[in-house]
Amino acid sequence: MRGDSFSMSIENIPDSPMVSRKKKMKIRKVFDKMTQWVTPWRSNLESPREMMILRGDVEQDEFQYASSHCLSSYYSVFVVRLAIMVMLAILIGLLTVLTWHFTRIYTKQSLKTLAYGLRYELLQRPVLRMWSVVNTTSELTTAQVKLSEYVIKKSDKPTTQEELVEMYQAMKDVTWALFASAKALNAITINYRNGFVQAFHRDPASSSTFYIFSDLKNYSINGIGPEDVSGWNNQSIHGNMSAIWYQQQLDPVTGEKLGKPLKIPPDDLINIAGISQVPDGEASWHVTVSKYMDSPLLSAALPVFDASNKSIVAVVGVTTALYSVGQLMRDLVDVHGGHIYLTSQEGYLLATSTNGPLLKNTTNGPKLMKAIDSEEWVIRAGAQWLEKTYGSKRPQEVHAENVKLGNQRYYIDSFYLNLKRLPIVSVVIIPRKFIMGKVDERAFKTLIILISASVCIFFIGCVCILILTNGVSKEMKLRAELIRQLDARRRAEASSNYKSQFLANMSHELRTPMAAVIGLLDILISDDCLSNEQYATVTQIRKCSTALLRLLNNILDLSKVESGKLVLEEAEFDLGRELEGLVDMFSVQCINHNVETVLDLSDDMPALVRGDSARLVQIFANLISNSIKFTTTGHIILRGWCENINSLHDEMSLTVDRKKPWAPMKTKLVQHRNHLQKSCKNANKMVLWFEVDDTGCGIDPSKWDSVFESFEQADPSTTRTHGGTGLGLCIVRNLVNKMGGEIKVVQKNGVGTLMRLYLILSTPETADQNIQPDFSKYGLVVLLSMYGSTARMITSKWLRKHGIATVEASDWNELTQIIRDLLEMGSRDNSFDSQNNIADSLRAELSNIEEIKNPVFVIVVDIGVLDLTTDIWKEQLNYLDRFSIKAKFAWLLKHDTSNTVKTELRRKGHVMMVNKPLYKAKMIQILEAVIKNRKRCNGLRNRGNGSDESHDCLEIDPTQFDTCSSDDSSETSGEKHIDKPVQPSTLHSPVLKNYLIDATNSNDDSRSASMTQKNPEEEDWKDRLYSGIVLDGKNLKSLEGIRILLAEDTPVLQRVATIMLEKMGATVTAVWDGQQAVDSLNYKSINAQDPTEEHKSSEEETANNSIKSQSSLRNSSPYDLILMDCQMPKMDGYEATKAIRRAEIGTELHIPIVALTAHAMSSDEAKCLEVGMDAYLTKPIDRKLMVSTILSLTKPSIFQTSLSA
Amino acid sequence: MDLVQMQKSLQDYTKSLFLEGILDSQFLQLQQLQDESNPDFVSQVVTLFFQDSDRILNDLSLSLDQQVVDFKKVDPHVHQLKGSSSSIGAQRVKNACVVFRSFCEQQNVEACHRCLQQVKQEYYLVKNRLETLFKLEQQIVASGGMIPAVELGF
Repeated sequence: MRGDSFSMSIENIPDSPMVSRKKKMKIRKVFDKMTQWVTPWRSNLESPREMMILRGDVEQDEFQYASSHCLSSYYSVFVVRLAIMVMLAILIGLLTVLTWHFTRIYTKQSLKTLAYGLRYELLQRPVLRMWSVVNTTSELTTAQVKLSEYVIKKSDKPTTQEELVEMYQAMKDVTWALFASAKALNAITINYRNGFVQAFHRDPASSSTFYIFSDLKNYSINGIGPEDVSGWNNQSIHGNMSAIWYQQQLDPVTGEKLGKPLKIPPDDLINIAGISQVPDGEASWHVTVSKYMDSPLLSAALPVFDASNKSIVAVVGVTTALYSVGQLMRDLVDVHGGHIYLTSQEGYLLATSTNGPLLKNTTNGPKLMKAIDSEEWVIRAGAQWLEKTYGSKRPQEVHAENVKLGNQRYYIDSFYLNLKRLPIVSVVIIPRKFIMGKVDERAFKTLIILISASVCIFFIGCVCILILTNGVSKEMKLRAELIRQLDARRRAEASSNYKSQFLANMSHELRTPMAAVIGLLDILISDDCLSNEQYATVTQIRKCSTALLRLLNNILDLSKVESGKLVLEEAEFDLGRELEGLVDMFSVQCINHNVETVLDLSDDMPALVRGDSARLVQIFANLISNSIKFTTTGHIILRGWCENINSLHDEMSLTVDRKKPWAPMKTKLVQHRNHLQKSCKNANKMVLWFEVDDTGCGIDPSKWDSVFESFEQADPSTTRTHGGTGLGLCIVRNLVNKMGGEIKVVQKNGVGTLMRLYLILSTPETADQNIQPDFSKYGLVVLLSMYGSTARMITSKWLRKHGIATVEASDWNELTQIIRDLLEMGSRDNSFDSQNNIADSLRAELSNIEEIKNPVFVIVVDIGVLDLTTDIWKEQLNYLDRFSIKAKFAWLLKHDTSNTVKTELRRKGHVMMVNKPLYKAKMIQILEAVIKNRKRCNGLRNRGNGSDESHDCLEIDPTQFDTCSSDDSSETSGEKHIDKPVQPSTLHSPVLKNYLIDATNSNDDSRSASMTQKNPEEEDWKDRLYSGIVLDGKNLKSLEGIRILLAEDTPVLQRVATIMLEKMGATVTAVWDGQQAVDSLNYKSINAQDPTEEHKSSEEETANNSIKSQSSLRNSSPYDLILMDCQMPKMDGYEATKAIRRAEIGTELHIPIVALTAHAMSSDEAKCLEVGMDAYLTKPIDRKLMVSTILSLTKPSIFQTSLSA
Repeated sequence: MDLVQMQKSLQDYTKSLFLEGILDSQFLQLQQLQDESNPDFVSQVVTLFFQDSDRILNDLSLSLDQQVVDFKKVDPHVHQLKGSSSSIGAQRVKNACVVFRSFCEQQNVEACHRCLQQVKQEYYLVKNRLETLFKLEQQIVASGGMIPAVELGF
């Protein structure tokens, strides 16, 4: 098992989406290995399990199922977790990327713009400087040219040497002025046509200024004409070479000569612009180098034309050092970093921002250097890159980013400045780091931070998800557990239900053969040819069978109550009588046990209540029989009192013990109280309290609750000693709860158990329910001579309460003593003195009695007071007989009192005999008999008369008899005691009378009669169980004159029912279905209005007086009653009933309809009553039940008249 | 055959019917209803029962053999049979009918067929037994004796 779940969990490990197929295969292999490893262990585990009972297997399966269920839920939880995590990761990743992207892109964009501006600016500056340099040079050159032209024009055609010298002097002055004004100039040269050269030169190294001129002597004044320009040009240059050059240092500011002119080699210091440089008479530019300067020079040359403007007189050249541009570049770069350089179109370096040399020394002197040959690495690399990228066709402007030179990235921008004759290219190389370095760094940092932050968030999220889903998975686990538990509970309940069902079915099935057994036993008992021993044995078997049947009924009842199928009926019944009958019944058993059974009902108990009498009796029967079982000596008291709604509150507050459990009840009742007080006429609910108090072994307080559970007994050994199933109290509790009450065991003083319960029953709307006869005015004196102290005390208390003087005596001696005191007036005083043992209270009582005028003495003697073991009782009887004139004797007999005693009593004229136990109703009966007798006979004691009277009174009505003693074992589950509603008017006299033992009956020698007399309860039982079998003469014609319409489709049933009814004197009309029933009713009722028909029918009935009166009452209706089968073709019983009831609307008719049905369920009864039927009989038809039902439904007047008949 | 012996055997036979649970107290009630005014009431009723039951069983067989069994038809038949059998006290038939009805409610065709067979079996059993009983009674009556069944009912 464990192995299984383990392997399952392995199997269910969800493969993350990343796991490849290969990995899966690996896991599978591992799993296979594990199962291989697990299998032997599992088989080991299973082998003992197999030996377990089936139930264990079921549990195992269940568990397996549940665990697999759990695992699948784990799986799903895992997948969900994973999905959430992936989603979270995607979300966070997206956020990170977006954040990073936007911040970076925007910064970069703005920076790039800025950087571009910067670079452009950087580029622009040197270019502008260059431009300005060029401009300055050009301007100066132009100015020099203009001045020269002016000077030359002035001394047009110098003829003499002096003039020539003068002109040169003027030229020199003019040129100096110009040269001095432009500090940036390196040199100004004037090369005349005749080869004379004048030049000013600044040496930046020594910061001195020189005037350089060639020797004038060699120059002719008449120079070659302008016609041969080309010849002049070449000649002059070459001629110059041969000329002697002088250099004279000048003061830089004033131009004063500072020393002697020095001879210098020609062209030594500076380039002298010659005619060759202006071949077309236009200005020309070129870059030169000088031996003495390390930077290139920019020189411009312009020709000077003569006045006629036709020939070139001289060539002016201006040279500017590009040194200042380089200086500017260095300054710029100093601030911004990077490199700037200028090159000529050919790629020669003009200026750089570095200090590196721009010229290279060759054997022919210094020469310009190409940028790609620059010593500066960056410039060289940049130039090479440019060269490589663009080749010869370089665009005007180049802006390149991210050019990788070496290990660094650079921006390279180049700008082409297209000067005429001197195109210049400027290039700026700025390391990327310089501009974007910070940005890149920041971006990198930001990225790192972002990534780490998102990773952190992701992990925190994962943890959160894990925690959250952990809760969910836990909940799911718990839920699965709960489902399993519920399932288990359902199974348990189902099995319990099956058990109950089984029990019910079993008992139901067992009852059938039991019925046969009892039936056959009855046959046997009634057989005459049994010996006494056989008879006793059979009787014993009969009793046992009855007990068994009762047990079966109990089980059936219990299961019925538990399944909720039990429906309590609502019918009026005499509560007192039911309980009295019950106590009578149990007293027989109790007397054998030497236990007193006492019924103590308070006077305010309602005589009639509505409810289910059979169930009520069952409750008490179970309780009392339970008490009897555990009580060996002492008493069992059944107390009953009525909870007055008004006094309810006081009662509740008084009994702290009860207060709590009844609290909800109390409020409910208090709520009801006002309503009830207003409408007293309504059937009001009563709270009836009962106590069953015994002096048995008691119940341990810890078991007080559990004794009401089924199959529970307070002590497991009980079953052994006392038997029983433990079902009784459970049924009791269920029934009590069903009646809206509660039962519990209550703390009691002394030994024994006190069960207290209350029931809520409604009382019918009869105003004078508690008619308590007033005995006080008759001056009655009662002497109670009884063994049982409890019963005696209770009775005497009751008597005193009703104003009857009562004296108690517990044994023979006391009895005689008191009798003597009371009746033998003469010796009374003596006896008082001599009998000191008489208690003071008794003496007080006796003295009270003396004051009563003309007292009527009633002496109630327990037959047990007499000594029955020997023949002394006859003596005692004779002794008592002496007082029979002065007092009326009432005898309490035991059920086993022998016939001889009874005969003897009767012989002596003691007619008032009641069976023990003595309770209120019997006492009242005795007293009433005494009073009546006294009234009628006026003190005369006539034996025959008394006997007659008692005979009259003791007429026992079988129906009533049946009613008064219903026991706890009803014959069938569906049987309903429809004969329960007892008419209040007929109740009083017969009820009271039947306690007295029928004197005439006891004279009868027949065994059955003596049986009845000996144990009427037992006979009752038999009647009830075999009500159909036993037919007494009274019943035979009990339905005399009643007209019955029988609607029944089954021929057999119809026939049987018809015969059955006809046998009992009823007139039966049978029809086959509901339609016919309705039709015949209509037909008859039409006919009934016909006077002749009425006359005829009434004529028929003249024979019977009672029927006549009945007929006059009911002549409007054709039938007195309808027996209606429920299931019939064409129209069923329900429909027919509805039709009949519809037809009755508007008339005062109400034909009683009794349903006949084979469904024996209470729900069917409900349905029957719903459609308007009055009662309900189950098939097969029980004759007795049918008779009682029919009688109770036909008018009470019939009932009464037939009784009196 | 000796009359007393015949009476004895009839009594024994009746008792055996009760002991086997074929009949119940209802039959005793029927017997009680029989008197001078209705001398063969029991046999009348029982014959009625036989006729009725034969018809019902026939109908039932037909209904159950249908392709589609109409339980609304079957159920009343069973109910009727249950009623009549319980009325004459043929309790084994009645019990079989109770089971039959429960299967009718479940609409279990197969079980209904089984139940029908059961009911038939019980019915023929009780029919057989009762016919024997009546034969015995007739024999007793023919030989001028009293039917002890009346004594059985007290």
